[in-house]
Amino acid sequence: MTDQNMNAIERLATVKEERMKAKLGKRYAKEKRFRAYGVASIVIGLCFLAMLLGTIFTAGWSTFYATEIRLTVTYDADAIGVSDLNDESQLMFADWGALVKNAMKERFPYVSGRSDRRAMYSLVSSVAEYDLKDRLEANPELLGTTEEVWLMADDEIDALMKGQVDMSVPENERRISDLQNSLVESLIESGELKKSFNTTFFTNGDSREPEQAGIRGAMLGSFFTLLVTLALSFPIGVAAAIYLEEFAPKNRLTEIIEVNINNLAAVPSIVFGLLGLAVFINVFHLPRSAPVVGGLVLTLMTLPTIIISSRSAIKAVPPSIREAALGLGASKVQMVMHHVLPLAMPGMLTGTIIGMAQALGETAPLLMIGMVAFIADIPSGPLDSATVLPVQIFLWSDLPERAFVAKTSGAIMVLLGFLAAMNLLAVYLRKKFETRW
Amino acid sequence: MTTLAKDSMEAVFEGWTSTVGKPTMDSDVRMSTRNVDVHYGDKQAIYGVDLDIGKNEVLAMIGPSGCGKSTFLRTLNRMNDTIDICRITGDIILDGDNIYDKHMDVVNLRARVGMVFQKPNPFPKSIYDNVAYGPKIHGLVTRRAELDEVVETALRKASIWDEVKDRLDQPATGLSGGQQQRLCIARTIAVSPEVILMDEPCSALDPIATARIEELIAELSENYTIAIVTHSMQQAARVSHRTAYFHLGRLIEVGKTDKIFTAPEHKLTEDYITGRFG
Amino acid sequence: MTSSSLLLLLILIAAISYFFGRKRSEVVAQSVGGVRYLHSLPNYYGLMAAVWAGIPGFVVLSLWVMFESTVIQGIVASSFPDSLKALSESQTNLLWSEINNLRSGVITNASDPALLTAAEQLTALEDRSSILKTILTLGLAGLTGAIGWKLIRPAQKARNQFEAFFRILLMLSSLIAIFTTVGIVFSVLFESVRFFREVPFFDFIFGTKWSPQIAVTADVPGSSGAFGAVPLFVGTLLIAFIALLIAVPIGLMSAVYLVEYASSKVRNVVKPLLEVLAGIPTVVYGFFAALTMAPQLKNFFEGIGVNGVSSESALAAGLVMGIMIIPFVSSLADDVISAVPNSLRDGSYGLGATRSETIKQVVFPAALPGIVGGILLAASRAIGETMIVVMAAGLAANLTANPLEAVTTVTVQIATLLVGDQEFDSAKTLSAFALGLMLFFTTLMLNVVALAVVKRFREQYD
Repeated sequence: MTDQNMNAIERLATVKEERMKAKLGKRYAKEKRFRAYGVASIVIGLCFLAMLLGTIFTAGWSTFYATEIRLTVTYDADAIGVSDLNDESQLMFADWGALVKNAMKERFPYVSGRSDRRAMYSLVSSVAEYDLKDRLEANPELLGTTEEVWLMADDEIDALMKGQVDMSVPENERRISDLQNSLVESLIESGELKKSFNTTFFTNGDSREPEQAGIRGAMLGSFFTLLVTLALSFPIGVAAAIYLEEFAPKNRLTEIIEVNINNLAAVPSIVFGLLGLAVFINVFHLPRSAPVVGGLVLTLMTLPTIIISSRSAIKAVPPSIREAALGLGASKVQMVMHHVLPLAMPGMLTGTIIGMAQALGETAPLLMIGMVAFIADIPSGPLDSATVLPVQIFLWSDLPERAFVAKTSGAIMVLLGFLAAMNLLAVYLRKKFETRW
Repeated sequence: MTTLAKDSMEAVFEGWTSTVGKPTMDSDVRMSTRNVDVHYGDKQAIYGVDLDIGKNEVLAMIGPSGCGKSTFLRTLNRMNDTIDICRITGDIILDGDNIYDKHMDVVNLRARVGMVFQKPNPFPKSIYDNVAYGPKIHGLVTRRAELDEVVETALRKASIWDEVKDRLDQPATGLSGGQQQRLCIARTIAVSPEVILMDEPCSALDPIATARIEELIAELSENYTIAIVTHSMQQAARVSHRTAYFHLGRLIEVGKTDKIFTAPEHKLTEDYITGRFG
Repeated sequence: MTSSSLLLLLILIAAISYFFGRKRSEVVAQSVGGVRYLHSLPNYYGLMAAVWAGIPGFVVLSLWVMFESTVIQGIVASSFPDSLKALSESQTNLLWSEINNLRSGVITNASDPALLTAAEQLTALEDRSSILKTILTLGLAGLTGAIGWKLIRPAQKARNQFEAFFRILLMLSSLIAIFTTVGIVFSVLFESVRFFREVPFFDFIFGTKWSPQIAVTADVPGSSGAFGAVPLFVGTLLIAFIALLIAVPIGLMSAVYLVEYASSKVRNVVKPLLEVLAGIPTVVYGFFAALTMAPQLKNFFEGIGVNGVSSESALAAGLVMGIMIIPFVSSLADDVISAVPNSLRDGSYGLGATRSETIKQVVFPAALPGIVGGILLAASRAIGETMIVVMAAGLAANLTANPLEAVTTVTVQIATLLVGDQEFDSAKTLSAFALGLMLFFTTLMLNVVALAVVKRFREQYD
């Protein structure tokens, strides 16, 4: 047989082995490279995750510890200028700072001169005097006595103790002077300086002073906001899902509702903020900065998530259960309420928890409705002005004091902790109640 | 299967260590398997199969569902490699090379042993690109004209050329089921394989399309070795030269097709072809 | 009585009605021979009684609360002297805050005696409204409760009635999705129209200078030129583009590896880990971008001799946004790639193709519509993302394509223009709504197209 008589494929057979062999090495190299791209992508993704969490954890860890200074305070009536602790007019003009100053002077008698003294006083937090005031007001019998107390150190000293201050730069370029450093060293030597768990961070509201600023206000704000969100979005979301899965006729309106839900799930969150501002605040005159408005906005935002996951939970209930209920003479509503809903409940709860986690992390729409103000008070209800954790993080991240970087990271760690707990709960629920029909 | 039924089946196999009929051929062997076992995880799917497939022969594999005939077919070009838990032991020889040898290249192997699947699976590309895919990835052609020629020849051989020659650039998914399956056969032919494996190629097709594929198989057998798994005994009888009967992962009997269908030696084969089960 | 205590009272009334309705149904059942001769179970009679007693009062109460302040303000405003009526809207807003301050005693001297009258009138009206509200709500609850009570007869189809009511409740819940969309459209459209009355639409769309702060303070002619949104659009697209440049290849290749190569063990570990990235709040990414990524990028570029890198560069924001979107892309791509039927892969492997050849030439083309849909959704996400850009991209409206310079985005401007107190008529505030309108419609289009494409893809392989 000559070449001409062969068809193309027979001709191919004669050169096949040789040509394939020529290309094979390259093809395998390509295969390897492609696979490596995949591995690299995953590694890069995970590296980003590690970097993100790593930066925040290393910066935020120190927030959970605070530096305290032990001072021997004499509650000297003359120094404060108060002879009777029940006399309001005296308390108004009391000089509580004198207590701290005197104690410091006593501790370091060798520090003299105005500026050196001032540097010495600033070792202790400027708000420490109010702790003394509170203590004295709670125990009036202390007046005139002397006792040792642990007072909060200034945030700069705190930073020094946490190794965040570079002492090798020239003195005028750093915020801790040599004198302050030597005082701190002597305090350390005599055990009058300690690190302790920073309860202030969890019990205080916001403050301009980093060492006094805490997240209790923001946590409660988040709590009230989520409470409103949950109270509205869970029943409404479940009801909507039941309607769409079990009752809705297949018509134009239902179709529009479904398309709407899917689209709303992808609308940028800030647009919901615009809605909240225009409708809830400008039309209905609800209070600005209140968790109830935040909750309303977040409800609208999380509803699509909850509806979508609730629908798939309802879909997963096999038709045989419905037929069995209807076959026994149950009405459709009874069938849904007695049989479908209980079986779909774990799936719905899982979806709701995930929706709540999203709502907890949401910031942008809440900026629109004024939950971004500086609020030092702890909110006591959903109608009080408040801020939420993510917004608190946003506010702190903008502040210049170095100590707020740690505070911000610390607040992020708390937020991430809550989110992780919620998601783990969702995973647990899903695993525990997972039913294969 | 209940334990009882399983026990009785084991009883039927008792003593059957070798195949009825001749699993082996004396001359012109293209592929042969020796003592092939296949496991899926802890489950054994194939038990010690010995079988030869001759040159330019159509070998049909029949048996009840779940008898392992498709699994066995897929071991012949190592398609089971894609399944993690699948483990294969024994020897499968293609033209003197053990295909499970670690030096055997699976890409090469599959270019030599092509496969047509149960459901037509054209790629979401044009008709032309579907056929050109194999030659292109293997680098079998060097010029565009050569590729055109290969595509045309493959389509002609798969007797679909006349139907598609005017719309080669249209998506293959627009073809009918029977046309799609013939396109898939053309796609397989285009890399000039030595063996073509067909896994119930007509099960998703109507009778007319099935008849055309069967004609095609007869034509192809002039140049290629074909192993076809089929659920239809009539089809096996129509297209194959030899037939192998599988039962619960074992090769029960193999022989000339007309002999298997007229005078099977094993009780199980007889029961199957007389329609007592299956 | 306050609205919340009224609400509690209504709930209490409904609960009592339930109890008595149930009791009454049992009593009326005596006349026909016992509970089993009632049309429905006693429970349903109680529920219907509760619905009758609670719902009408609740509807009236909510309507009252919604419109109370608007109506009262309208009444007070209509009795303003003409000199006050003629004031512009921002001045009127000032008047209202002064009136409120007068009422709360923050200030005692009014700039206009009419304001004092207005404050008194307002207080009087609110008192009257409160009384009226209480009487109306409770009266209605009592009236309809009585009707409900009267209706209880053995033949009353209480179950059917209650179920009909229940279905309506369910339907109303699902309609909230539509109300939300309508609410969004109207709230942005309404204010945008007011904005476009002051600033011509085309100046906004095609203008290249954006400085809303200046436009407010200086009433200089030609200040309308300060509302040219092009720099914002360009900045938004630049950052979104950088983000997609990071997220699409990484997300896509991760998905490919997880679906096509990874063993189920690796997949079960890596997939949730990548999804952790999606669960991190955006404010955290913003913090990371501003505090870590931006300075490091600046250092890096200055290290290789590129100067003038902004510390609020588009690159830092885009990069971090890209990280945020990675899991979004990868999980969408994962779904889509998994949905490509295995028969196609088999066909390719059966011809001797390697995995990468199969993926590139068979799986990708098959999954393309779904992948494109996913990328569009990711783009919509990137365009609408707010916190990262607010914290890392800054406010400088530079018209530039250089990723090392600072740019601003639509979302940043919306956020900054609306944070803090604002008057509702200044073009500055209204421009935020015009930007919101642009943002909403752009993302809406992307979403509609993307969802349609993905849906079509799913149907193809179902």
